[in-house]
Amino acid sequence: MSPTKGFDFAGLGLKDALDLAVLIEEEARDRYLEFADQMELHHTPEAEGFFGYMARNEEKHRVALASRRTELFGDAPGTANRTMLFDVEAPDYDEVRAFMTPRQALESALRAEEKAHAFFAAALLEVRDASVRVLFEELCAEELEHQALVQGQIEQLPPDSGLDPADFADDPVGQ
Amino acid sequence: MTTATATLAPKAFKSELKPIWCPGCGDFGVVQALYRALSAIGRPAHEIAFISGIGCSSRIPGYTTAYGFNSVHGRALPIAQGLKMARPELLVLAAGGDGDGFSIGGGHLPHAVRRNQNITYIVMDNQIYGLTKGQLSPTSPKGLKTVTSVDGSLENPVNPLMYVLTYGAPFVAQGTPADLPGLVEIIEAAIRYPGFAFVNVQSPCVTFGEPEQQIKTQKATMESLEGMGHDPGNLIEALDLSRAYGTTLHTGLFYRSPEPPPTFDSLVHERQQRMMADALPRERILEQFIQR
Amino acid sequence: MSRSLVIGMAGSGGDGIVSAGESLIGACASEGYYAIMTKSFGSQIRGGESSCRVRLAVDPVLNSGGALDVAVVLSWDDFLKFGAELPVSGRAMVVYDTRTGVAADDLPLVGVTPAEVFPVPISDLAREAAGTDRAKNTVILGLLAGWLGIGQEATLRGVRKKFAKKGAELIEANERAFHAGVAYAEAHPTAESRKMDPATGSGAKLLTDGNDMCAAAAIFAGCKFYGGYPITPSTEVMQFLSREIWKYGGVLLQAEDEIAGIGAALGASFGGKKAMTATSGPGLSLKSEVLGLATIAELPLVVVDVQRGGPSTGMPTKSEQADLFQAVFSAHGDVVRPVLAPTTVGDTFTTTVEAFNIAEQYQTPVILLSDQEIAQRKEVLDPIDTSEIQLIDRTLPTDAELENYQRFQLTPSGVSPISHPGMEGGNYLGAGIEHDEHGAPTASGRVHAVMNEKRIKKLGPLHKRDDLFRIEGNENAPLALVSWGSSAGVCREAVQLAADRGLDVKLLVPYLLYPVNEDIYRRFFASVVGGLVVEQSHLGQLYRILRMYIDVPGGVVSFCRSGANPFRPKEIVAELRDLALGLQRTLGESRQPQE
Repeated sequence: MSPTKGFDFAGLGLKDALDLAVLIEEEARDRYLEFADQMELHHTPEAEGFFGYMARNEEKHRVALASRRTELFGDAPGTANRTMLFDVEAPDYDEVRAFMTPRQALESALRAEEKAHAFFAAALLEVRDASVRVLFEELCAEELEHQALVQGQIEQLPPDSGLDPADFADDPVGQ
Repeated sequence: MTTATATLAPKAFKSELKPIWCPGCGDFGVVQALYRALSAIGRPAHEIAFISGIGCSSRIPGYTTAYGFNSVHGRALPIAQGLKMARPELLVLAAGGDGDGFSIGGGHLPHAVRRNQNITYIVMDNQIYGLTKGQLSPTSPKGLKTVTSVDGSLENPVNPLMYVLTYGAPFVAQGTPADLPGLVEIIEAAIRYPGFAFVNVQSPCVTFGEPEQQIKTQKATMESLEGMGHDPGNLIEALDLSRAYGTTLHTGLFYRSPEPPPTFDSLVHERQQRMMADALPRERILEQFIQR
Repeated sequence: MSRSLVIGMAGSGGDGIVSAGESLIGACASEGYYAIMTKSFGSQIRGGESSCRVRLAVDPVLNSGGALDVAVVLSWDDFLKFGAELPVSGRAMVVYDTRTGVAADDLPLVGVTPAEVFPVPISDLAREAAGTDRAKNTVILGLLAGWLGIGQEATLRGVRKKFAKKGAELIEANERAFHAGVAYAEAHPTAESRKMDPATGSGAKLLTDGNDMCAAAAIFAGCKFYGGYPITPSTEVMQFLSREIWKYGGVLLQAEDEIAGIGAALGASFGGKKAMTATSGPGLSLKSEVLGLATIAELPLVVVDVQRGGPSTGMPTKSEQADLFQAVFSAHGDVVRPVLAPTTVGDTFTTTVEAFNIAEQYQTPVILLSDQEIAQRKEVLDPIDTSEIQLIDRTLPTDAELENYQRFQLTPSGVSPISHPGMEGGNYLGAGIEHDEHGAPTASGRVHAVMNEKRIKKLGPLHKRDDLFRIEGNENAPLALVSWGSSAGVCREAVQLAADRGLDVKLLVPYLLYPVNEDIYRRFFASVVGGLVVEQSHLGQLYRILRMYIDVPGGVVSFCRSGANPFRPKEIVAELRDLALGLQRTLGESRQPQE
């Protein structure tokens, strides 16, 4: 399935493009917050910490984009909403597991950044508005930076033991 | 892109309770899709009642800000129906798992369908019993090895889509958290449909489910009914397509009755209006026993 | 002249004997007599043996009476099948169809010779007058009207009403049959006058059965939802409401099964409406899980169990009081679930309203244990003054309470204000799973203990509800009867009878069976040396429950037997006398000088 299915990039203006970008960040932030909550509830503190960190990053990006939107367009109403945005930069719901390792958490974030990059790259093929093109090129580049950042963190981790922590955990508890 | 009309953000429907579902569970996507569908519908949470049975997925009402009722195993539909009859003005949702809806509560489903109340019933179908740790469910594939079918299941699974279509449901759809935008669309359409709407969601169990049922596999193999050119007004074609349940994951609208039949609740209202004129005042009800 | 008569009739279903009984009781009611009519059937749906008893009296009647004063027999085989349900006394007159071929001096009755025997060519009279044997039942009405002096006009009015839709020809045929019966009676007078004293009661009477009364009470109480499944002998509750509930803005659902019936009712209650379901023992078995849910979710609900003989399918058309254990101990967990029982058709009204009041006030399911005897018998009674009856509605949260609403808030009384969907700010999660004050699910043992305490504590005031008990007789009496349900009506008459025979007996009738009001029993038993707990079950279930909670005096024993045949006042008095004599003997023995 094309990552840009359901979006009309050809007719997209800068205001809506900024709104879209804000919502994508918001979506990613919320997903990471959800993941952090899930990890907290399932006693997986390292992954919880990492997802919290990712949520803060996404929030930073969102704030930056949102202030640009306000500078340029004030409170003018937009047309974008989050209904269609689940999968752009937010990691998929099945990226997480109880007792996941920091490496697994980072890898899930990496896949999400790759997905976001693919989204903007595909969108660029359709975008017609020049200012939107500039914005998306910038976002595309940022996603690459993020990928590098996460990749760098992965490399700093101690070597993977190859063992799955879930194999050491208690059996699930029947309810 | 859909147009923003809702005044209530999806977050308005998210409760403080943190889901106890295993990380990676399909139900996280389902509840998110529901928040967004409810946001699009735009009715405030206190006008929504969400009834469930027992099972992992039946925890879902608690994760919304709507009035919820996490009842007993298999009984979501009777309770939802009674509530809707008592308060037809409410938006009533029912939900549960495949065991809840097709096994212990399976006897209620045809009757909920034939009453045709304006209720949306969402089943999170994962082909396994998760809450009790991985036993056979009514939709488990034949031959499945579980802790209660150590040598493999001897029974054929039920086909919920075909069941509900043949019971006469006016709205039947299937979705998956592997396609969340599609799921939002389906749930929203189901809620907007003026009658009994059934949504089967292939929501994988990350802990006890089979690897080929997980979201990644689903993403790769699912087929959109719309993409296949299926006409949701065509019941015969819908029945034919429903036969692929368990082999091909079709997403989207199987059937939507082009002419929604009157709902139970509208008929009740009509009857009440007609009969109220004949009523003795409540406090004089005993007068009808007077022997003259 | 008689102030009270018991008439028993039996035939096959095709004879319309029950229909005749209904016409008779209708006539009695409009004449101003009091009456009770019970029916009894074989297990066939149509055409099996059927019988009815009509007890009519100048004064209010408390039970369906003992041995028959008048026996009407269309078929001896059918009559005899009812055995103890239709016992013939030595003072009785027996009227039977000569077609049965039985000689008047050779009746198939064992150990009893009726005072008078009338072989009557009932079938022939019917054929001559109406052109068909089928009018036998109308001939019987004529015979009874003639012999007993019960209003001919009223009976004829009833017959005309019954056949109104069938056309003038049939009405006239039945009128002729009726007059033929009257004429025959006048031509063959009874030896001693069996005429009824004129009715003294003034004003209109009510005529109905316990099931209709229960349903009417539900409407009165403001019930807006009924969910149920047909089951004998409770179905008439649903049938009545199916006609009436819509008129009051309510809804009735004939559900796909017993569980769905109570489930839907609970859903309606969750929606803030008063709701009810009715069933019999087998249905109550199925409803247990939702009873448990209603208790933990703290939702009001009235569950009527019209008891029949059990276990399992048991005896669908026969009365029994053997569901008390099931009601009290319904569903699992640490639970107090209030159980109420009416004792007559008349008090079914107030007891049903009370069930709604308790359910609503304390946010709990309440089980109303009716029984087949009162549920399906017809009773003539005086109009009930409903103007003083209080209705209680559940306590809704105030605006202030909705600011930071906690559905299961711990309050001094244990009752928390209850919201319902549609109420802004009242949003909560109802659940069968244990939950905290907000309704959030919990696995905390501490919270569970606190919530169990809350749910049981809130019912505490019920232990003080002395008004839900009826005490009759001399308060210092050494002999006592305790009885509930339809048997209580028999005991009330037994107390009068015992007094006539010099026995000093008092009676306690609980309308509230559970939780047990320990104080009222203790006070009642304080003067008691011996007594009987009378109930229609093999185990004597109330007696056993009382012994769980109080020190029942040793001389108070269980007098119980399985259902089908209601107790008769005389046998209770006989049992009491035996008990008293036994106690006296023991007393005597203890007084003998020690060697």
